[in-house]
Amino acid sequence: MKVDVVIDLCQGHARCQDRCPEVFGTDEIEGKCVILQPDVPAGLEQKARLAVRNCPEGALIILD
Amino acid sequence: MSSAHYAPGPADHVPPELVRDFDIFSLPAGVEDPIAHWAALVDGDTPPIFYTPRNGGHWVLLDYEHIREAYRDHARFSTYQTPVPPIEPYPVMQPQGVDPPEHKRFRSLLAPLFTPAAIARMENGIRRRARELIAPFAGRGRCDFVREFSAVLPTGMFLHLMGMPEERLAEFHALSDVFMRSNDEAVRAANIADIYAVIDDHLAWRATHPGDTDLASVLLGARDEHGQPFPHQDLLNCGFLLFVAGLDTVTSTMTCIWRFLATDETARHHLRASLANRERLSAATEELLRINAVANLYRRVQQDLAFHGVRMRRNDRVVLPNSIANRNARVFANPTTIDLEREVNTHMTFGVGPHRCIGAHLAKAEIMVSLQEWLARIPDFRLEPGVRIEAYTGPVMGMRNLPLRWSNS
Ligand code: HEM
Ligand code: SF4
Repeated sequence: MKVDVVIDLCQGHARCQDRCPEVFGTDEIEGKCVILQPDVPAGLEQKARLAVRNCPEGALIILD
Repeated sequence: MSSAHYAPGPADHVPPELVRDFDIFSLPAGVEDPIAHWAALVDGDTPPIFYTPRNGGHWVLLDYEHIREAYRDHARFSTYQTPVPPIEPYPVMQPQGVDPPEHKRFRSLLAPLFTPAAIARMENGIRRRARELIAPFAGRGRCDFVREFSAVLPTGMFLHLMGMPEERLAEFHALSDVFMRSNDEAVRAANIADIYAVIDDHLAWRATHPGDTDLASVLLGARDEHGQPFPHQDLLNCGFLLFVAGLDTVTSTMTCIWRFLATDETARHHLRASLANRERLSAATEELLRINAVANLYRRVQQDLAFHGVRMRRNDRVVLPNSIANRNARVFANPTTIDLEREVNTHMTFGVGPHRCIGAHLAKAEIMVSLQEWLARIPDFRLEPGVRIEAYTGPVMGMRNLPLRWSNS
C-alpha cells in the first residue's frame, strides 16, 4: 500500500498525523502534511487507511 | 469607493419559500443549550439554504457539502467585509478578513508559531497553567468552570503567544472577561478600544525589547516584498484577531465539553481510561470538538450567482454553522450519538480551506491537557443543581457560567 498527499489541497489539519504518526507527519513552516513512509509498512495499512479517510480536505490518496 | 460598497442590497431576489425567521444573536427564553437551538433548524421543514431577514438579512447554509464548498471557494464567498449585521468599513482582520492570494502574507507569518511541532513545545506551559488553576478549587468541591478555568487558561496562552509579561495576566484577564460577558454596546465598544490600546502598548514595548519566537516580535520584524514593515494598523488588527479568535472560542468549547462530561458518567470513564493514550485521547477529543462546534462563520457573496439553484446577489451575507455541518447523517454515522471512538470524523469545527483555524492545534492541546489535569484531580463532577446557565449565541456561542460540584474527599 502506498500513500501520497496532494499538497495544494492540504491545509494542515494534522488529522493524518494524529491518526497514524508512523506514516504521516507535518512540517515546521506551514504545518502541512509530510509523508514519512510512502510505502506503508505491513501491519499499519488499517491505521493509514483511517488517517486518509479522516482528512477533512480530501488531500490524501491511496495509490494501491 | 462609496461607503456602502459592501452593503447587501434589498432581498427582492429571495423567493418567499426560502425565508425563515431566525435571529443568530438571540435565544428564546429558557434555552440553556445554544447548539441544540441551532441543531433544531434541521429537524423541521427548513430549506437547506434559507434566508432570514434578521440582522440586515442573510443566508444560512445547513448542508455539510454546501458549507464545505463555501469555505473553500473564496472566489465566490469572500471573507472581506463580512460582518452581520453589516458594518462598514469593518476593520480588516489579518489574515481572516483577506482572500487568497493576499491572505497568505499574514497567514505565512503566523503559521510557524502554530504548527503541531510548535504547539507541542507549548504543552508544558499549558499543563503548568492548568494545574495552577485547578489547585485552589479542587479541594473546595465546587467552582464556576467559566470564571475559574475555561476563561482563564486561553487568556494565559494568549499572553504567552504574544510574548506579554506575566504581570499583565490579571489586567488582561479583566479585559477578556468583559469582552466575553458583556452584551452592552457601549461597554463593549470601550472594552475593544482598551484591548487595542493594550496590544498597541505591547507592540511598542516589544519594538525596543524584541524576542525570538513571540508573535509581537515576529509581526514587528516582518517585511513586505519591498523590504518595508507592515502597516501598524495591520499588526494591531492581527493581534486583535488572535484575541477574538483564540479566547472566546476555546472558553466556550471547553465549557460545552465540561457541561456534557458533568452529565455523562460513561464518557468520563472512557476519558479517564484514555488519558495516557495519546491516540485514544485525540480521537475522543475530536468527537467532543465535533459535537461542540461553537463557531458560526460569515462570508460575503462576491458576484451575483446561483448556488445549488438558489440565486444570490453580490454582497449578500452567508452564515456557515459548523455545528449543523457536523450533524449531517450522510457524512457521520449516527450523527447525534457521541461516540468517543468514532472512526471517521471529518468535522468542520475549525473550518476547512485556506482560512482553516490556524489555532486548531493550540485549541486541541489546551483541551487535551485540561482533560488530563482535570480528570486526574477531579475524576467525577456534576452540574450544580438549581443554578441557571446563561447561554448566548452569535458568531460564537456558549455559556457565560457553568457551576460544577464534586465530592471533595
Ligand atoms: C476550539 C476553539 C476554536 C474554534 C472552534 C475555532 C474556529 C475557527 C474557525 C471555524 C476558523 C475559520 C474562519 C473562517 O473560515 O472564516 C478559524 C480561524 C482562525 N482561528 Fe480559530 N478557532 C479556535 C481556536 C483558535 C485559537 C486558540 C486561535 C489562536 C490563538 C485561533 C486563531 C484563528 C485565526 C488567526 C484564524 C484565521 C485564520 C485565517 O484566516 O487564515 N483560533 N477558527
Ligand atoms: S489531515 Fe489532510 S489537510 Fe490535514 S495535514 Fe493531513 S493531509 Fe493535510
